[in-house]
Amino acid sequence: MSKISLKVVYYGPAMSGKTTNLLQLHGQLNPQRKGEVMIMETRDDRTLFFDMLPIGFKREQEIDLRIKLYTVPGQVEHDSTRKAVLSRADGIIFVADSQLSQQENNAISFENLADNLLKVGLDIEKIPLTIQFNKRDLGRIVSEETLEGRWLNTPWWPLTLSSALKGQGTAETFEQLLQRLYPAVDREHALSSRHGITQKTFLEHLTQSSDY
Amino acid sequence: MFDARDDLTLEELLLPSQVDSAIALLSRLCGTDVKLLHEPNSKATAVEFNLEIVAWLGGDLPEQQRMAAAKLMETLLFHAGKYRLAANLHHNATEANYEQLKQQHAALQASEARYRALSESLQERVDSQIAVIRDSQQKLYESARLRAVGQLAAGMAHEINTPVGFIASNLRTAQEYLSEIEEAIKGEPSPHEVLEDFQCLLTECLDGAARITNIIKDIRAFANIDQTDYRVFDLNDLVRTSVQLVTSELQPCSPITLELAPLPKLPGHPARVGQAIYNAVNNALRALSDDGEVVVTTRLVDEMVEITISDNGHGMGEEILSRAFEPFFTTRDVGVGAGLGLSVVRDVAMDHQGQVLLTSQEGQGSRLVLLLPIARASI
Ligand SMILES: Nc1nc2c(ncn2[C@@H]2O[C@H](COP(=O)(O)OP(=O)(O)OP(=O)(O)O)[C@@H](O)[C@H]2O)c(=O)[nH]1
Ligand SMILES: [Mg+2]
Repeated sequence: MSKISLKVVYYGPAMSGKTTNLLQLHGQLNPQRKGEVMIMETRDDRTLFFDMLPIGFKREQEIDLRIKLYTVPGQVEHDSTRKAVLSRADGIIFVADSQLSQQENNAISFENLADNLLKVGLDIEKIPLTIQFNKRDLGRIVSEETLEGRWLNTPWWPLTLSSALKGQGTAETFEQLLQRLYPAVDREHALSSRHGITQKTFLEHLTQSSDY
Repeated sequence: MFDARDDLTLEELLLPSQVDSAIALLSRLCGTDVKLLHEPNSKATAVEFNLEIVAWLGGDLPEQQRMAAAKLMETLLFHAGKYRLAANLHHNATEANYEQLKQQHAALQASEARYRALSESLQERVDSQIAVIRDSQQKLYESARLRAVGQLAAGMAHEINTPVGFIASNLRTAQEYLSEIEEAIKGEPSPHEVLEDFQCLLTECLDGAARITNIIKDIRAFANIDQTDYRVFDLNDLVRTSVQLVTSELQPCSPITLELAPLPKLPGHPARVGQAIYNAVNNALRALSDDGEVVVTTRLVDEMVEITISDNGHGMGEEILSRAFEPFFTTRDVGVGAGLGLSVVRDVAMDHQGQVLLTSQEGQGSRLVLLLPIARASI
Protein backbone atom coordinates (compact mmCIF):
# COMPACT_ATOMS: atom_id res chain seq x y z
CA MET A 1 0.00 0.00 0.00
CA SER A 2 1.39 3.43 -0.91
CA LYS A 3 1.23 5.97 1.81
CA ILE A 4 1.38 9.54 0.60
CA SER A 5 1.57 12.39 3.03
CA LEU A 6 1.30 15.94 1.72
CA LYS A 7 1.49 19.32 3.36
CA VAL A 8 -0.35 22.45 2.26
CA VAL A 9 0.40 25.68 4.08
CA TYR A 10 -1.80 28.77 4.36
CA TYR A 11 0.55 31.74 4.37
CA GLY A 12 -0.06 35.48 4.50
CA PRO A 13 0.05 38.61 6.61
CA ALA A 14 -1.40 38.77 10.12
CA MET A 15 -5.20 38.83 10.31
CA SER A 16 -5.72 38.18 6.61
CA GLY A 17 -8.02 35.24 7.36
CA LYS A 18 -5.90 32.09 7.20
CA THR A 19 -7.39 30.52 10.29
CA THR A 20 -10.87 31.50 9.11
CA ASN A 21 -10.19 29.77 5.78
CA LEU A 22 -9.23 26.59 7.56
CA LEU A 23 -12.24 26.62 9.82
CA GLN A 24 -14.56 27.19 6.87
CA LEU A 25 -12.92 24.41 4.95
CA HIS A 26 -13.39 22.10 7.89
CA GLY A 27 -17.08 22.84 7.82
CA GLN A 28 -17.57 22.82 4.05
CA LEU A 29 -15.30 20.10 2.78
CA ASN A 30 -16.54 16.62 2.77
CA PRO A 31 -13.52 14.55 1.89
CA GLN A 32 -13.47 10.84 2.35
CA ARG A 33 -11.49 11.26 5.56
CA LYS A 34 -11.38 14.33 7.73
CA GLY A 35 -9.72 14.70 11.11
CA GLU A 36 -10.23 17.19 13.87
CA VAL A 37 -9.10 20.75 13.24
CA MET A 38 -6.41 21.78 15.65
CA ILE A 39 -6.59 25.49 16.40
CA MET A 40 -3.92 27.18 18.44
CA GLU A 41 -4.57 30.78 18.97
CA THR A 42 -4.35 33.40 21.64
CA ARG A 43 -7.45 35.10 22.96
CA ASP A 44 -7.55 37.80 20.25
CA ASP A 45 -7.72 35.41 17.25
CA ARG A 46 -4.04 35.37 16.61
CA THR A 47 -2.49 32.07 15.70
CA LEU A 48 0.36 31.18 18.02
CA PHE A 49 2.09 28.15 16.54
CA PHE A 50 -0.10 26.86 13.73
CA ASP A 51 -3.53 25.47 12.96
CA MET A 52 -3.88 22.09 11.37
CA LEU A 53 -6.53 20.08 9.61
CA PRO A 54 -5.80 16.59 8.33
CA ILE A 55 -7.87 15.26 5.42
CA GLY A 56 -7.36 12.35 3.09
CA PHE A 57 -8.66 9.33 1.27
CA LYS A 58 -7.86 5.68 1.44
CA ARG A 59 -8.34 2.60 -0.69
CA GLU A 60 -7.88 -0.59 1.22
CA GLN A 61 -4.61 -2.38 0.31
CA GLU A 62 -3.79 0.26 -2.26
CA ILE A 63 -3.36 3.86 -1.31
CA ASP A 64 -3.55 6.02 1.79
CA LEU A 65 -3.22 9.69 0.86
CA ARG A 66 -3.31 12.38 3.47
CA ILE A 67 -3.02 16.12 3.23
CA LYS A 68 -2.33 18.19 6.28
CA LEU A 69 -3.52 21.74 5.95
CA TYR A 70 -1.52 24.11 8.10
CA THR A 71 -1.74 27.83 8.76
CA VAL A 72 1.23 29.88 9.86
CA PRO A 73 1.11 32.72 12.37
CA GLY A 74 1.06 35.92 10.28
CA GLN A 75 2.50 38.23 12.87
CA VAL A 76 5.95 39.45 11.91
CA GLU A 77 7.63 38.31 15.12
CA HIS A 78 6.82 34.63 14.55
CA ASP A 79 9.16 34.25 11.60
CA SER A 80 11.06 31.24 12.90
CA THR A 81 7.77 29.42 13.53
CA ARG A 82 6.66 30.27 9.97
CA LYS A 83 9.87 28.81 8.63
CA ALA A 84 9.40 25.64 10.66
CA VAL A 85 5.82 25.18 9.46
CA LEU A 86 6.85 25.90 5.88
CA SER A 87 9.51 23.22 5.75
CA ARG A 88 8.67 20.31 3.45
CA ALA A 89 5.52 22.03 2.17
CA ASP A 90 4.07 20.55 -1.03
CA GLY A 91 1.76 23.47 -1.80
CA ILE A 92 1.03 26.99 -0.59
CA ILE A 93 -2.14 29.06 -0.36
CA PHE A 94 -1.29 32.70 0.08
CA VAL A 95 -4.14 34.54 1.77
CA ALA A 96 -3.88 38.26 1.02
CA ASP A 97 -6.01 40.91 2.68
CA SER A 98 -8.00 42.86 0.07
CA GLN A 99 -8.25 46.03 2.14
CA LEU A 100 -6.41 48.95 0.52
CA SER A 101 -4.65 49.66 3.81
CA GLN A 102 -3.14 46.16 3.82
CA GLN A 103 -1.43 46.09 0.42
CA GLU A 104 1.98 46.92 1.84
CA ASN A 105 1.61 44.10 4.39
CA ASN A 106 0.65 41.69 1.61
CA ALA A 107 3.80 42.58 -0.31
CA ILE A 108 6.02 42.22 2.74
CA SER A 109 4.51 38.87 3.57
CA PHE A 110 4.83 37.60 0.00
CA GLU A 111 8.48 38.54 -0.03
CA ASN A 112 8.90 36.86 3.33
CA LEU A 113 7.33 33.73 1.84
CA ALA A 114 9.81 33.71 -1.02
CA ASP A 115 12.71 34.20 1.41
CA ASN A 116 11.61 31.51 3.78
CA LEU A 117 10.92 29.04 0.99
CA LEU A 118 14.47 29.57 -0.17
CA LYS A 119 15.74 29.00 3.35
CA VAL A 120 13.96 25.66 3.61
CA GLY A 121 15.19 24.66 0.15
CA LEU A 122 12.07 25.42 -1.90
CA ASP A 123 11.51 27.72 -4.86
CA ILE A 124 8.51 30.02 -5.05
CA GLU A 125 8.57 29.75 -8.85
CA LYS A 126 8.25 25.97 -8.72
CA ILE A 127 6.09 25.10 -5.75
CA PRO A 128 2.31 24.80 -6.44
CA LEU A 129 0.92 28.11 -5.20
CA THR A 130 -2.50 29.73 -5.17
CA ILE A 131 -3.09 33.35 -4.25
CA GLN A 132 -6.36 34.30 -2.62
CA PHE A 133 -7.57 37.87 -2.04
CA ASN A 134 -9.78 37.61 1.01
CA LYS A 135 -12.26 39.96 2.69
CA ARG A 136 -14.00 40.88 -0.58
CA ASP A 137 -17.09 41.68 1.53
CA LEU A 138 -15.48 44.84 2.88
CA GLY A 139 -15.49 48.35 1.34
CA ARG A 140 -12.24 50.16 0.45
CA ILE A 141 -10.68 47.10 -1.11
CA VAL A 142 -8.30 46.72 -4.02
CA SER A 143 -10.31 46.41 -7.27
CA GLU A 144 -10.35 43.38 -9.53
CA GLU A 145 -8.92 45.47 -12.40
CA THR A 146 -5.99 46.48 -10.28
CA LEU A 147 -5.41 42.87 -9.29
CA GLU A 148 -5.54 41.77 -12.90
CA GLY A 149 -3.06 44.49 -13.85
CA ARG A 150 -0.68 43.34 -11.14
CA TRP A 151 -0.98 39.59 -11.38
CA LEU A 152 -1.99 38.75 -14.94
CA ASN A 153 1.55 38.15 -16.08
CA THR A 154 2.61 36.00 -13.17
CA PRO A 155 2.59 32.21 -12.96
CA TRP A 156 -0.15 32.49 -10.34
CA TRP A 157 -2.92 34.01 -12.43
CA PRO A 158 -5.87 33.57 -12.07
CA LEU A 159 -6.16 34.53 -8.43
CA THR A 160 -9.11 33.54 -6.30
CA LEU A 161 -11.38 36.00 -4.52
CA SER A 162 -13.03 35.16 -1.24
CA SER A 163 -14.89 36.22 1.80
CA ALA A 164 -13.77 33.57 4.24
CA LEU A 165 -15.87 35.00 7.01
CA LYS A 166 -18.98 34.27 4.89
CA GLY A 167 -17.61 30.99 3.64
CA GLN A 168 -17.33 32.24 0.05
CA GLY A 169 -14.40 31.25 -2.13
CA THR A 170 -12.55 29.16 0.43
CA ALA A 171 -13.36 25.78 -1.13
CA GLU A 172 -12.69 27.20 -4.63
CA THR A 173 -9.29 28.40 -3.47
CA PHE A 174 -8.44 24.99 -2.08
CA GLU A 175 -9.62 23.31 -5.29
CA GLN A 176 -7.44 25.55 -7.39
CA LEU A 177 -4.47 24.62 -5.23
CA LEU A 178 -5.32 20.91 -5.60
CA GLN A 179 -5.38 21.36 -9.38
CA ARG A 180 -1.94 22.93 -9.28
CA LEU A 181 -0.70 20.32 -6.81
CA TYR A 182 -1.91 17.26 -8.69
CA PRO A 183 0.69 17.25 -11.51
CA ALA A 184 3.59 17.30 -9.04
CA VAL A 185 2.11 14.51 -6.92
CA ASP A 186 1.23 12.50 -10.02
CA ARG A 187 4.78 12.85 -11.27
CA GLU A 188 6.26 11.62 -8.01
CA HIS A 189 3.78 8.92 -7.07
CA ALA A 190 2.33 7.90 -10.45
CA LEU A 191 -1.22 8.55 -9.18
CA SER A 192 -2.87 8.01 -12.54
CA SER A 193 -0.73 5.24 -14.00
CA ARG A 194 -0.40 3.13 -10.86
CA HIS A 195 -3.58 3.91 -9.01
CA GLY A 196 -5.88 5.18 -11.73
CA ILE A 197 -6.39 8.42 -9.85
CA THR A 198 -6.97 11.24 -12.33
CA GLN A 199 -7.00 14.90 -11.41
CA LYS A 200 -10.79 14.71 -11.31
CA THR A 201 -10.91 11.81 -8.82
CA PHE A 202 -8.13 13.40 -6.81
CA LEU A 203 -10.24 16.53 -6.42
CA GLU A 204 -13.42 14.62 -5.73
CA HIS A 205 -11.90 12.45 -3.03
CA LEU A 206 -10.48 15.43 -1.25
CA THR A 207 -13.39 17.81 -1.45
CA GLN A 208 -16.53 15.70 -1.48
CA SER A 209 -16.98 12.17 -0.35
CA SER A 210 -17.94 9.48 -2.76
CA ASP A 211 -18.34 5.78 -2.34
CA TYR A 212 -16.01 3.32 -3.91
CA MET B 1 16.56 21.33 10.10
CA PHE B 2 12.95 22.50 10.30
CA ASP B 3 11.56 19.02 10.08
CA ALA B 4 8.65 18.72 12.48
CA ARG B 5 7.18 15.26 12.22
CA ASP B 6 3.44 15.46 12.79
CA ASP B 7 2.51 11.77 12.79
CA LEU B 8 3.06 10.82 16.38
CA THR B 9 2.96 7.36 17.94
CA LEU B 10 1.03 6.52 21.10
CA GLU B 11 4.29 6.51 23.05
CA GLU B 12 5.11 9.98 21.75
CA LEU B 13 1.67 11.28 22.63
CA LEU B 14 1.30 10.01 26.17
CA LEU B 15 3.54 8.70 28.91
CA PRO B 16 2.92 5.00 29.78
CA SER B 17 1.65 6.05 33.22
CA GLN B 18 -0.84 8.44 31.57
CA VAL B 19 -2.02 5.67 29.25
CA ASP B 20 -2.41 3.31 32.20
CA SER B 21 -4.46 5.72 34.29
CA ALA B 22 -6.64 6.63 31.28
CA ILE B 23 -7.32 2.94 30.60
CA ALA B 24 -8.05 2.32 34.29
CA LEU B 25 -10.59 5.15 34.28
CA LEU B 26 -12.16 3.93 31.02
CA SER B 27 -12.43 0.40 32.44
CA ARG B 28 -14.21 1.72 35.47
CA LEU B 29 -16.59 3.77 33.28
CA CYS B 30 -17.33 0.78 31.05
CA GLY B 31 -17.73 -1.59 33.97
CA THR B 32 -15.34 -4.03 32.31
CA ASP B 33 -11.65 -4.25 31.46
CA VAL B 34 -10.56 -2.45 28.33
CA LYS B 35 -7.02 -2.32 27.00
CA LEU B 36 -4.99 -0.80 24.20
CA LEU B 37 -3.73 -3.30 21.63
CA HIS B 38 -1.09 -3.09 18.91
CA GLU B 39 -2.98 -5.43 16.58
CA PRO B 40 -6.65 -5.38 15.64
CA ASN B 41 -9.04 -8.18 16.60
CA SER B 42 -12.75 -8.74 16.26
CA LYS B 43 -13.49 -7.00 19.54
CA ALA B 44 -11.33 -3.92 19.02
CA THR B 45 -11.93 -0.39 17.70
CA ALA B 46 -9.25 1.75 16.01
CA VAL B 47 -7.93 4.76 17.90
CA GLU B 48 -6.70 7.45 15.50
CA PHE B 49 -4.58 10.50 15.80
CA ASN B 50 -4.44 12.73 12.71
CA LEU B 51 -6.07 10.00 10.59
CA GLU B 52 -3.37 7.55 11.64
CA ILE B 53 -4.30 4.50 13.71
CA VAL B 54 -2.11 4.54 16.81
CA ALA B 55 -3.75 1.66 18.71
CA TRP B 56 -6.84 -0.56 19.03
CA LEU B 57 -9.09 -0.38 21.99
CA GLY B 58 -10.25 -3.84 22.90
CA GLY B 59 -12.66 -5.11 25.54
CA ASP B 60 -15.61 -7.36 25.95
CA LEU B 61 -18.38 -4.76 25.74
CA PRO B 62 -21.06 -3.58 23.34
CA GLU B 63 -19.83 -2.00 20.11
CA GLN B 64 -21.48 1.39 20.81
CA GLN B 65 -19.85 1.58 24.20
CA ARG B 66 -16.45 0.50 22.82
CA MET B 67 -16.63 3.16 20.11
CA ALA B 68 -17.47 5.80 22.69
CA ALA B 69 -14.51 4.68 24.78
CA ALA B 70 -12.25 4.84 21.71
CA LYS B 71 -13.58 8.31 20.86
CA LEU B 72 -12.82 9.48 24.40
CA MET B 73 -9.33 8.11 24.05
CA GLU B 74 -8.94 9.94 20.73
CA THR B 75 -10.03 13.19 22.34
CA LEU B 76 -7.40 12.69 24.99
CA LEU B 77 -4.78 12.02 22.35
CA PHE B 78 -5.88 15.01 20.29
CA HIS B 79 -5.25 17.42 23.13
CA ALA B 80 -2.04 15.74 24.16
CA GLY B 81 -0.95 15.83 20.49
CA LYS B 82 -1.79 19.48 20.16
CA TYR B 83 0.53 20.25 23.02
CA ARG B 84 3.22 17.84 21.75
CA LEU B 85 3.19 19.25 18.20
CA ALA B 86 3.37 22.83 19.45
CA ALA B 87 6.21 21.90 21.77
CA ASN B 88 8.10 20.11 18.97
CA LEU B 89 7.63 23.02 16.61
CA HIS B 90 8.74 25.47 19.21
CA HIS B 91 11.78 23.33 19.93
CA ASN B 92 12.66 23.10 16.24
CA ALA B 93 12.19 26.80 15.65
CA THR B 94 14.35 27.64 18.65
CA GLU B 95 16.97 25.14 17.60
CA ALA B 96 17.03 26.58 14.09
CA ASN B 97 17.43 30.06 15.51
CA TYR B 98 20.21 28.87 17.75
CA GLU B 99 21.86 27.12 14.82
CA GLN B 100 21.63 30.30 12.79
CA LEU B 101 23.08 32.28 15.66
CA LYS B 102 25.95 29.85 15.93
CA GLN B 103 26.63 30.17 12.21
CA GLN B 104 26.55 33.95 12.43
CA HIS B 105 28.88 33.77 15.38
CA ALA B 106 31.27 31.52 13.48
CA ALA B 107 31.16 33.82 10.47
CA LEU B 108 31.88 36.77 12.71
CA GLN B 109 34.81 34.99 14.29
CA ALA B 110 36.20 34.06 10.90
CA SER B 111 36.05 37.61 9.65
CA GLU B 112 37.58 38.83 12.87
CA ALA B 113 40.46 36.39 12.41
CA ARG B 114 40.87 37.58 8.83
CA TYR B 115 41.13 41.17 9.96
CA ARG B 116 43.58 40.26 12.68
CA ALA B 117 45.80 38.45 10.20
CA LEU B 118 45.51 41.38 7.84
CA SER B 119 46.55 43.89 10.46
CA GLU B 120 49.47 41.69 11.44
CA SER B 121 50.79 41.48 7.92
CA LEU B 122 50.08 45.15 7.33
CA GLN B 123 53.34 46.37 8.92
CA GLU B 124 55.30 43.92 6.83
CA ARG B 125 53.57 45.02 3.67
CA VAL B 126 54.05 48.69 4.49
CA ASP B 127 57.75 48.08 5.10
CA SER B 128 58.29 46.28 1.83
CA GLN B 129 56.28 48.93 0.01
CA ILE B 130 58.48 51.63 1.54
CA ALA B 131 61.57 49.77 0.35
CA VAL B 132 60.17 49.65 -3.18
CA ILE B 133 59.33 53.34 -3.13
CA ARG B 134 62.78 54.23 -1.78
CA ASP B 135 64.45 52.16 -4.44
CA SER B 136 62.52 53.73 -7.28
CA GLN B 137 62.97 57.18 -5.77
CA GLN B 138 66.70 56.61 -5.67
CA LYS B 139 66.76 55.47 -9.28
CA LEU B 140 64.73 58.47 -10.28
CA TYR B 141 67.06 60.72 -8.38
CA GLU B 142 70.14 59.14 -9.95
CA SER B 143 68.82 59.44 -13.45
CA ALA B 144 67.64 63.02 -12.89
CA ARG B 145 71.06 63.94 -11.58
CA LEU B 146 72.70 62.23 -14.48
CA ARG B 147 70.49 64.07 -16.93
CA ALA B 148 71.16 67.42 -15.27
CA VAL B 149 74.91 66.87 -15.29
CA GLY B 150 74.69 65.74 -18.87
CA GLN B 151 72.69 68.75 -19.96
CA LEU B 152 75.06 71.10 -18.21
CA ALA B 153 78.09 69.41 -19.75
CA ALA B 154 76.54 69.36 -23.19
CA GLY B 155 75.64 73.06 -22.91
CA MET B 156 79.09 73.99 -21.74
CA ALA B 157 80.72 71.92 -24.44
CA HIS B 158 78.65 73.66 -27.07
CA GLU B 159 79.47 77.14 -25.70
CA ILE B 160 83.18 76.45 -25.47
CA ASN B 161 83.37 74.73 -28.83
CA THR B 162 82.64 77.85 -30.87
CA PRO B 163 85.28 80.18 -29.37
CA VAL B 164 87.82 77.36 -29.35
CA GLY B 165 86.99 76.82 -33.00
CA PHE B 166 87.82 80.37 -34.01
CA ILE B 167 90.80 80.53 -31.64
CA ALA B 168 92.27 77.47 -33.39
CA SER B 169 91.44 78.79 -36.81
CA ASN B 170 92.90 82.22 -36.02
CA LEU B 171 96.05 80.60 -34.61
CA ARG B 172 96.55 78.66 -37.84
CA THR B 173 96.09 81.86 -39.86
CA ALA B 174 98.55 83.64 -37.53
CA GLN B 175 101.07 80.85 -38.15
CA GLU B 176 100.70 81.33 -41.90
CA TYR B 177 101.13 85.07 -41.54
CA LEU B 178 104.23 84.45 -39.45
CA SER B 179 105.64 82.17 -42.17
CA GLU B 180 104.96 84.89 -44.77
CA ILE B 181 106.64 87.49 -42.58
CA GLU B 182 109.67 85.19 -42.16
CA GLU B 183 109.79 84.76 -45.94
CA ALA B 184 109.54 88.49 -46.53
CA ILE B 185 112.29 89.44 -44.16
CA LYS B 186 114.63 86.59 -45.18
CA GLY B 187 118.26 87.70 -45.11
CA GLU B 188 117.44 90.83 -43.29
CA PRO B 189 118.95 91.38 -39.97
CA SER B 190 116.21 90.63 -37.60
CA PRO B 191 115.59 88.97 -34.23
CA HIS B 192 115.20 85.47 -35.60
CA GLU B 193 115.07 83.97 -32.12
CA VAL B 194 111.94 85.98 -31.41
CA LEU B 195 110.27 84.72 -34.54
CA GLU B 196 111.20 81.13 -33.77
CA ASP B 197 109.89 81.56 -30.28
CA PHE B 198 106.73 83.09 -31.68
CA GLN B 199 106.27 80.06 -33.93
CA CYS B 200 106.68 77.73 -30.90
CA LEU B 201 104.19 79.74 -28.92
CA LEU B 202 101.62 79.47 -31.64
CA THR B 203 102.24 75.74 -32.03
CA GLU B 204 101.76 75.26 -28.29
CA CYS B 205 98.59 77.33 -28.38
CA LEU B 206 97.27 75.18 -31.23
CA ASP B 207 98.12 72.06 -29.23
CA GLY B 208 96.18 73.49 -26.32
CA ALA B 209 93.21 74.29 -28.53
CA ALA B 210 93.33 70.76 -29.96
CA ARG B 211 93.35 69.36 -26.44
CA ILE B 212 90.38 71.50 -25.46
CA THR B 213 88.54 70.24 -28.54
CA ASN B 214 89.29 66.66 -27.51
CA ILE B 215 88.10 67.21 -23.98
CA ILE B 216 84.90 68.69 -25.36
CA LYS B 217 84.48 65.63 -27.54
CA ASP B 218 84.93 63.43 -24.48
CA ILE B 219 82.47 65.46 -22.46
CA ARG B 220 80.01 65.21 -25.28
CA ALA B 221 80.41 61.50 -25.47
CA PHE B 222 79.98 61.21 -21.75
CA ALA B 223 77.16 63.65 -21.61
CA ASN B 224 75.28 61.62 -24.10
CA ILE B 225 72.63 60.97 -21.52
CA ASP B 226 70.16 59.36 -23.79
CA GLN B 227 70.19 56.12 -21.86
CA THR B 228 68.51 54.16 -24.60
CA ASP B 229 71.34 54.94 -26.98
CA TYR B 230 72.55 51.48 -27.79
CA ARG B 231 75.57 51.08 -29.97
CA VAL B 232 79.02 49.57 -30.38
CA PHE B 233 81.64 51.54 -28.47
CA ASP B 234 85.30 51.57 -27.43
CA LEU B 235 85.52 50.75 -23.75
CA ASN B 236 89.06 52.08 -23.32
CA ASP B 237 88.00 55.47 -24.66
CA LEU B 238 85.13 55.48 -22.24
CA VAL B 239 87.46 54.60 -19.34
CA ARG B 240 89.83 57.43 -20.29
CA THR B 241 87.02 59.96 -20.54
CA SER B 242 85.38 58.90 -17.29
CA VAL B 243 88.66 58.99 -15.39
CA GLN B 244 89.46 62.41 -16.85
CA LEU B 245 86.11 63.72 -15.69
CA VAL B 246 86.62 62.40 -12.17
CA THR B 247 90.13 63.73 -11.83
CA SER B 248 89.38 67.17 -13.24
CA GLU B 249 87.86 67.93 -9.88
CA LEU B 250 91.04 66.87 -8.12
CA GLN B 251 94.56 68.10 -7.53
CA PRO B 252 96.85 68.40 -10.56
CA CYS B 253 98.79 65.21 -9.98
CA SER B 254 96.40 62.35 -10.50
CA PRO B 255 96.61 59.28 -8.25
CA ILE B 256 95.09 57.16 -10.99
CA THR B 257 97.06 54.74 -13.14
CA LEU B 258 95.52 53.32 -16.28
CA GLU B 259 96.58 49.93 -17.63
CA LEU B 260 94.47 49.45 -20.69
CA ALA B 261 94.94 46.39 -22.89
CA PRO B 262 93.76 46.51 -26.52
CA LEU B 263 90.10 45.54 -26.63
CA PRO B 264 87.52 44.79 -29.31
CA LYS B 265 84.59 47.16 -29.45
CA LEU B 266 81.56 46.00 -27.54
CA PRO B 267 77.85 46.68 -27.80
CA GLY B 268 75.92 48.44 -25.07
CA HIS B 269 74.78 51.74 -23.62
CA PRO B 270 78.00 53.78 -23.45
CA ALA B 271 76.42 56.52 -21.35
CA ARG B 272 75.34 54.00 -18.71
CA VAL B 273 78.65 52.13 -18.70
CA GLY B 274 80.45 55.51 -18.47
CA GLN B 275 78.36 56.41 -15.45
CA ALA B 276 79.20 53.07 -13.82
CA ILE B 277 82.94 53.55 -14.34
CA TYR B 278 82.68 57.13 -13.13
CA ASN B 279 80.92 56.02 -9.98
CA ALA B 280 83.34 53.18 -9.28
CA VAL B 281 86.43 55.36 -9.78
CA ASN B 282 84.92 58.21 -7.81
CA ASN B 283 84.27 55.79 -4.96
CA ALA B 284 87.80 54.47 -5.04
CA LEU B 285 89.23 58.00 -4.94
CA ARG B 286 87.12 58.96 -1.97
CA ALA B 287 88.40 55.96 -0.04
CA LEU B 288 92.03 57.06 -0.47
CA SER B 289 94.25 58.68 2.13
CA ASP B 290 96.90 61.25 1.06
CA ASP B 291 99.35 58.91 -0.66
CA GLY B 292 96.80 56.42 -1.97
CA GLU B 293 96.60 55.02 -5.45
CA VAL B 294 93.91 53.81 -7.78
CA VAL B 295 94.66 51.41 -10.61
CA VAL B 296 92.22 50.94 -13.46
CA THR B 297 92.91 48.01 -15.77
CA THR B 298 91.06 46.60 -18.70
CA ARG B 299 91.67 43.24 -20.36
CA LEU B 300 90.03 40.54 -22.37
CA VAL B 301 88.96 37.41 -20.49
CA ASP B 302 87.40 34.81 -22.77
CA GLU B 303 84.32 36.42 -24.29
CA MET B 304 84.20 39.14 -21.67
CA VAL B 305 85.86 42.46 -21.17
CA GLU B 306 87.07 42.92 -17.63
CA ILE B 307 87.50 46.32 -15.99
CA THR B 308 89.14 46.31 -12.60
CA ILE B 309 89.26 49.31 -10.32
CA SER B 310 91.40 48.72 -7.25
CA ASP B 311 92.52 51.11 -4.56
CA ASN B 312 94.61 50.95 -1.41
CA GLY B 313 92.22 53.12 0.57
CA HIS B 314 90.47 52.45 3.84
CA GLY B 315 88.45 49.47 2.55
CA MET B 316 85.19 48.22 3.96
CA GLY B 317 84.17 45.96 6.81
CA GLU B 318 81.91 42.95 6.39
CA GLU B 319 78.80 44.87 7.28
CA ILE B 320 79.40 47.75 4.90
CA LEU B 321 80.50 45.40 2.13
CA SER B 322 77.30 43.42 2.42
CA ARG B 323 75.22 46.54 2.02
CA ALA B 324 77.37 48.36 -0.53
CA PHE B 325 75.00 47.72 -3.41
CA GLU B 326 71.92 49.01 -1.63
CA PRO B 327 70.64 52.06 -3.49
CA PHE B 328 70.40 54.32 -0.48
CA PHE B 329 73.37 53.10 1.42
CA THR B 330 76.16 55.59 2.10
CA THR B 331 79.12 55.89 4.40
CA ARG B 332 79.52 59.54 3.59
CA ASP B 333 77.83 62.38 5.41
CA VAL B 334 74.37 63.17 4.24
CA GLY B 335 74.56 65.80 1.53
CA VAL B 336 77.99 64.88 0.24
CA GLY B 337 76.61 62.30 -2.10
CA ALA B 338 73.74 59.95 -2.28
CA GLY B 339 74.82 56.38 -1.85
CA LEU B 340 78.02 54.78 -2.95
CA GLY B 341 76.66 54.78 -6.45
CA LEU B 342 77.40 51.08 -6.60
CA SER B 343 73.80 50.19 -7.19
CA VAL B 344 74.18 51.88 -10.56
CA VAL B 345 77.19 49.69 -11.28
CA ARG B 346 75.22 46.59 -10.44
CA ASP B 347 72.23 47.74 -12.52
CA VAL B 348 74.50 48.44 -15.52
CA ALA B 349 76.15 45.03 -15.19
CA MET B 350 72.73 43.39 -15.11
CA ASP B 351 71.45 45.43 -18.06
CA HIS B 352 74.41 44.26 -20.10
CA GLN B 353 74.24 40.67 -18.94
CA GLY B 354 77.54 41.17 -17.21
CA GLN B 355 78.76 40.64 -13.67
CA VAL B 356 80.10 42.72 -10.88
CA LEU B 357 82.35 41.57 -8.05
CA LEU B 358 83.36 43.60 -5.05
CA THR B 359 86.03 42.52 -2.58
CA SER B 360 87.45 44.57 0.22
CA GLN B 361 89.59 44.38 3.33
CA GLU B 362 89.30 46.93 6.02
CA GLY B 363 92.42 49.14 5.98
CA GLN B 364 93.80 47.38 2.88
CA GLY B 365 91.64 48.70 0.06
CA SER B 366 88.89 47.55 -2.26
CA ARG B 367 88.67 45.94 -5.64
CA LEU B 368 85.74 46.15 -8.00
CA VAL B 369 85.61 43.94 -11.08
CA LEU B 370 83.08 44.64 -13.81
CA LEU B 371 82.70 42.02 -16.55
CA LEU B 372 80.86 42.83 -19.76
CA PRO B 373 80.23 40.39 -22.62
CA ILE B 374 81.59 41.27 -26.06
CA ALA B 375 78.72 39.66 -27.93
CA ARG B 376 75.20 39.79 -26.70
CA ALA B 377 72.61 37.33 -27.69
CA SER B 378 69.88 39.89 -27.76
CA ILE B 379 69.55 43.57 -27.26
N1 LIG C 1 -14.82 41.11 6.91
C1 LIG C 1 -14.10 39.99 6.87
N2 LIG C 1 -13.38 39.64 7.94
C2 LIG C 1 -12.67 38.50 7.87
C3 LIG C 1 -12.64 37.71 6.71
N3 LIG C 1 -11.84 36.65 6.95
C4 LIG C 1 -11.38 36.79 8.21
N4 LIG C 1 -11.87 37.90 8.77
C5 LIG C 1 -11.62 38.40 10.12
O1 LIG C 1 -10.28 38.80 10.26
C6 LIG C 1 -9.81 38.52 11.55
C7 LIG C 1 -8.58 37.65 11.45
O2 LIG C 1 -8.86 36.41 10.88
P1 LIG C 1 -7.97 35.14 11.11
O3 LIG C 1 -8.47 34.06 10.25
O4 LIG C 1 -7.77 34.85 12.55
O5 LIG C 1 -6.62 35.71 10.54
P2 LIG C 1 -5.24 34.97 10.43
O6 LIG C 1 -4.74 35.19 9.06
O7 LIG C 1 -5.32 33.56 10.87
O8 LIG C 1 -4.36 35.81 11.45
P3 LIG C 1 -3.00 35.37 12.19
O9 LIG C 1 -3.26 34.04 12.78
O10 LIG C 1 -2.71 36.41 13.18
O11 LIG C 1 -1.98 35.32 11.13
C8 LIG C 1 -10.92 37.80 12.26
O12 LIG C 1 -11.59 38.72 13.06
C9 LIG C 1 -11.80 37.31 11.16
O13 LIG C 1 -13.15 37.25 11.54
C10 LIG C 1 -13.41 38.13 5.58
O14 LIG C 1 -13.46 37.50 4.52
N5 LIG C 1 -14.13 39.29 5.72
MG1 LIG D 1 -4.48 32.44 12.30
